[in-house]
Amino acid sequence: MEHEHLLYDGVTGLPTLQAAVESMRRVIVERGELLILYFNFSRYSKIEEIYGWEKLDAVLATTAAAVRAYLHDSPLRSSRVMVRYANDDDFVFFHIPEPGFEAAGDEQITEIISGLQKHVSERIEVAHGEDIASLFDIYAGRSHVMVNPKFRLERQIYRGVRQAVLASQSVEARETVKKLEDLRESIRTRGVYVDYHPIVVAETGEVFGYEALARGVMRSMRSPEVMFEVAARGDLLWELSRICRSRAIEGMQDRFDNGELLFLNVDPGDFADPTFSPEQLDAPDPTRVVIEITERTAIKDYPKFRNRLQAFRDAGFRFAVDDAGSGYAGLGSIANLEPDFIKLDISLINCIDENFIKQNLVETMIGFANDQGAQVIAEGVERAEEMAILKELGVHLVQGFFLHPAGVPSHTPEHLPIQVPPGPSTHGPKLGPDTRAIKSA
Amino acid sequence: MTKTALPHVLVVDDNHDNANIIRDYLEARGYPITVAYGGEEALEIFERDRPSIVLLDVMMPGRDGWEVCREMKQNPDAARPVRVIMVTALHDWTNKRQAIQTGADDFVEKPFELSRLADTVERNARMLTPVR
Repeated sequence: MEHEHLLYDGVTGLPTLQAAVESMRRVIVERGELLILYFNFSRYSKIEEIYGWEKLDAVLATTAAAVRAYLHDSPLRSSRVMVRYANDDDFVFFHIPEPGFEAAGDEQITEIISGLQKHVSERIEVAHGEDIASLFDIYAGRSHVMVNPKFRLERQIYRGVRQAVLASQSVEARETVKKLEDLRESIRTRGVYVDYHPIVVAETGEVFGYEALARGVMRSMRSPEVMFEVAARGDLLWELSRICRSRAIEGMQDRFDNGELLFLNVDPGDFADPTFSPEQLDAPDPTRVVIEITERTAIKDYPKFRNRLQAFRDAGFRFAVDDAGSGYAGLGSIANLEPDFIKLDISLINCIDENFIKQNLVETMIGFANDQGAQVIAEGVERAEEMAILKELGVHLVQGFFLHPAGVPSHTPEHLPIQVPPGPSTHGPKLGPDTRAIKSA
Repeated sequence: MTKTALPHVLVVDDNHDNANIIRDYLEARGYPITVAYGGEEALEIFERDRPSIVLLDVMMPGRDGWEVCREMKQNPDAARPVRVIMVTALHDWTNKRQAIQTGADDFVEKPFELSRLADTVERNARMLTPVR
């Protein structure tokens, strides 16, 4: 059939909604009812923003396989079909009860969603690491369609899908409010700890410094991306950033024995915080602190921003441009910041051994850095093949899963409680029905 | 690499002279070649023959090289991987970033020497052999 591929999603191998409705039409009419589950996997677009499209494709493929495997073993295994819906990050599942059986009840569905979240999260963690696994949430909504021959079947199904989408959105809204409460609590109790990710010299493997990654003590705040996203929504960025910065510097004093540098993430917006100053940072030795500024956030007032940077530079702090090469801006905007370090965007590193254009861009960046007297850091190195190419290209410093695999304890200050307290969790089932409430666990 | 092991190459260029010169040169080096003189034709051949390497000119009337590359890479088939080499003047950062975004694997800057083009094809042919 011409354009047959449009009926199936290339990454996940799942049919589109139209293709599924067409092939299931007869069975749905025969059974007379249909249960629609809508799953929204939130923040998948964040994965693409941070790691690039290849990574999101891989995560989507893992997700689809995990969802399929889980549902295959669930009580919904009979007469079911899963489809990709309109976006990258959502799936629709049709459950058509077998003759003589009732459609799955609320309690059963809640249990299935809970198990699904856990299973998908585990599969993603094994395949792609903890940071990616902790980034996403699943919001599920359901609707129950009783087929009425007076109406066109397609319309009834599309309406059912829309109801399930709305139900999942109301669950998401509830969860967002809960997360904001968790963040306020985290700020009030300074419930933030720091993971230190080693940055090593590419040639020797010697530890050169550590990047501080702040995480919330509460499970719902474990992912830094989620925590800062909630803070931005609640207008609490400055408050959260202050705590993260001071935690990172406290830990440095406790843990860094051999003159390693501390790489500290600072959002350009933090420079507008009147309390953010070299004095407030209170670093015992500012020359050992590198302030990382991401290229992703637009800097609105360049001259003013440069003045603020200069005050830090005069006090001895150094600078790194983070996520360099993530946008289309090129090298000009990087040169403007006169960085001491250039951290390459992860999307340029991911599968660099297989892509000669990425190799060319990284080579260009290294040449540029050498001219500017800066050092290039390759972030997100996950495989030996990537490491080998990066060394060949002359990258100065490297960071990533390959050097810091899961299981190696991070440097967590001992006086901080990192046990996860019981309470609000992003990993419980989050299911929303179309018309009535099903309790979240 | 023996002659029989060389991968099938699809050459796409709306300039017939350019396409034919590339075809003759690579054919003489043992590659099985198919030529398409436009984006639409390239996609048809791609669907039918599933070549392993595509040399893709960017500036073409109708569907340009970016669009064609995106379509070819959109539905990856693990059993039949394809390497797409953009043939264009990718001078600046933006263009190269765009090439990665569309899924391209490599590029040859215009104007090019045929021997350089052959080297590029060869290094991509090597990537088709699973080493991991």
